[in-house]
Amino acid sequence: MNPLVPVARLDVRAHACPVTWVKARIALSRIGEGEVLEVLLRDGEPRENVPRSAEEDGHRVMRLEPAPEEGEGTWRAWLVRGASMEDRAWP
Amino acid sequence: MALSDAEVGRYARQLLLPGMGEAAQVILREARVRVTGGGIALAPAMYYLAAAGVGTLWIDDPDEVKPGAGAGFALGPADLGRPRGAALAEFARRANGLVVADPFRPGSRPTALLICGASLDVSRAIADEARLLQLPHVVADVDGQGGAATSVPLGAPCYSCATRPGLGAAPTAEGGATVGALAALELILLLTGASLEPRARRIEVFRGTPLMRATTRQPGCACAGPAAAGLAP
Repeated sequence: MNPLVPVARLDVRAHACPVTWVKARIALSRIGEGEVLEVLLRDGEPRENVPRSAEEDGHRVMRLEPAPEEGEGTWRAWLVRGASMEDRAWP
Repeated sequence: MALSDAEVGRYARQLLLPGMGEAAQVILREARVRVTGGGIALAPAMYYLAAAGVGTLWIDDPDEVKPGAGAGFALGPADLGRPRGAALAEFARRANGLVVADPFRPGSRPTALLICGASLDVSRAIADEARLLQLPHVVADVDGQGGAATSVPLGAPCYSCATRPGLGAAPTAEGGATVGALAALELILLLTGASLEPRARRIEVFRGTPLMRATTRQPGCACAGPAAAGLAP
């Protein structure tokens, strides 16, 4: 079995709450259930809030670690999409 | 098409609401809503639709702006004498530069209507037109400081079936704001498919307390025809 690897990558280091989580949530909605999204975050509020919001929304935080190679104060989160997001159509 | 960075920033908090998300926001962006009826709820309803990101708003209000006619939050002294449709469209564009807002022109093809009738008869006539055109619609009726919002998805019992006389009190600005906001929310839920059952419903607000009931078809009503089953061409 292949190890889980990200199928998409998102950099929200230029954004502040709540846009950090909104962008992550939109990116999660574009991948399949069980697939992994890699998110680059700034330390502090984004590192705390994005993983927490992801778990509250039914996703799983697979990794959360410093990523100094991406820049000072950068963290990397791997979010596994849960089953909570529904596709929508016109009524 | 995906949301732009500007749209994500603008609608960030709305995108986090239950039932919302990128797909629902795109549906709102693609919607073309005719806001009509000339009632006191029209301006607040239009404002909320614009703020929520309904992509195209057509304001159908040919009257002139008159003193003391409500919508003071949207229209100022400089607007007196202007066509209300044009003045309100300008206000909507100022409220959200990402939406298109213009006075309604005959021949425009809305995807839904928000009806804020100045009287029940006006609302009935426009709602019947919307039913025959097979367009989902929500009707805002202001009654004193409260009123009702009636949601009519395709094939649902019509507004005439759903409505019932209220107190008959003179509409107030507070009632217009309350019912206008409620009707705009109902239309947003209807368009995005985010509303819970029953989707054909009437929410009445009396003394600040909302009461929701599912609407039912009156025996013999014309709305029980093919359009009711979504089968009409």
